[in-house]
Amino acid sequence: MDKMQLEMLAKELGRNEQEEKLWHKFLLIAFLGATGNNLRETLREPLSGLLQELGETTLGEKLKLVIERVPSFPTNELLPLVLELCGKLTHDREQVIHRLEDMLSELAAPIIRIWSEVLLLPLIGSLDTDRAQAIAERLLERASSTRAKMVVVDVTGVPMIDTAAGGFLIEMFSAVKLLGAEVILTGIKPEIAHTLVKLGVDFRMVAIARDLEDALRKAIAMLEEEKRQRKQIALGHSSSLTREGGEPDDI
Amino acid sequence: MTFKEKVVPTIRIADCLLVPIQIDLDDKTVEKLQAQLLAEIQEQRVRAIILDVRMVEVIDSYISYTLSETAAMAHLMGCRTVICGIQPPVALTLAQMGIELQGFLVARDLEHALALVWSP
Amino acid sequence: MARKVRELLAMPADDFDVVVRIAREEDIAIARQTAKQLAQESGFSLADVTKIATAVSELARNIYRYAQTGKIMIRKRLEENGGPIIQAVAIDQGPGIEDVELVLTKGYTTYERSLGIGLSGIKRLVDYFEIVSEVGKGTAVMFEKRRRKF
Repeated sequence: MDKMQLEMLAKELGRNEQEEKLWHKFLLIAFLGATGNNLRETLREPLSGLLQELGETTLGEKLKLVIERVPSFPTNELLPLVLELCGKLTHDREQVIHRLEDMLSELAAPIIRIWSEVLLLPLIGSLDTDRAQAIAERLLERASSTRAKMVVVDVTGVPMIDTAAGGFLIEMFSAVKLLGAEVILTGIKPEIAHTLVKLGVDFRMVAIARDLEDALRKAIAMLEEEKRQRKQIALGHSSSLTREGGEPDDI
Repeated sequence: MTFKEKVVPTIRIADCLLVPIQIDLDDKTVEKLQAQLLAEIQEQRVRAIILDVRMVEVIDSYISYTLSETAAMAHLMGCRTVICGIQPPVALTLAQMGIELQGFLVARDLEHALALVWSP
Repeated sequence: MARKVRELLAMPADDFDVVVRIAREEDIAIARQTAKQLAQESGFSLADVTKIATAVSELARNIYRYAQTGKIMIRKRLEENGGPIIQAVAIDQGPGIEDVELVLTKGYTTYERSLGIGLSGIKRLVDYFEIVSEVGKGTAVMFEKRRRKF
């Protein structure tokens, strides 16, 4: 194939100047006469560029044109290379998707410290298995490492809770309680309340609050109560240690 | 109880017994632990035992069952049982298997455990 | 029915990464530790490692208590998308279970040393579960757990 034919072909294939250039470069190397590994290595970059620019479908169509037009096109040599590059492209896309999924997971269930020793978990979206598991694991790790005393779980952002999701939540609550923390559930909408009772899902093992404000109030009240109890215990102990008439030490 | 009969070394704090479990709990061990604790509750006249399971990586149905049994027995002897330090993966596994630890007060850590021991 | 159990049982022992014979009480802990190690090496999350170890522990104990001897075989495979998946099968020639369905439903209220707690519990920890049992012949239980992408 001579230079003129090559240029004309490149012009025909490219839908704009940028693409024309890429095709020109590609065709030049393809018809340089190299074979085997050498051909594949030198073609790797221009072919990759074309793939990025055109996408698999268009590239496929255009290559078909080239093969029809120029029988001497080294199709056999190139096939493995094309497959390899497409595979890499797919892999790169999958990586992006994974990163986005991770981000989504974080955003969909951030764990926020709203008060000292009180964590808030606002659940958003549906509680489908894999994601829900990841959320439960994160919540438990965080509750354990921060020695949280209370965990408020807000389900306002969960559109539907069926038996499976209800079961999952109950398991999560049980697990939190095994860490020695209390759970306050809030954000159940009327429709969901209706469904839960009809399905027989029983959330009575946890405290329930009307809304976030109510939940926070309840949490603080419980913390105050615990503090009060401890003071009483401490005073009770020290008064049994002091002599009669003495003042108990300040704890 | 002599030292060599003990499966888990225990520590006396005021009128309770701290039991830090730092070994892998297999069936035989947990049964021996049960016997050891009941003997110690009797000997030392403690009002509570605190099981610290921070180092325990797997608690399955039989272990849970035996520990719950132990708590029930302790209760009959006038002794309260507190468990603390359940690790997050263990907590999740127990909850998802549907296993309930019965007869225990659950504490976040030792400080909380001691508070629970003396609470009404 | 019980397709995967039969598939696994038909494989030679060499196809498995771990084979633990259950004959003494200590073997339950050995099975648990080995399963835990394999899951850790395969990059499973801490929570999933615990679940796999607990499931294997339950299976090993069932063998020891009801059949006295048996074995547990575990292997790690790679799925088509490249993620690791752990398969475990527990076999014994014990008395067998008459009503598997009944044993699997969570119908217990007391903490008896019954087969029920273990089996129905395991089912909720794993992604796939199969059990085959015949009275007088024996029991085979298998489960699968894959590593999550999240």
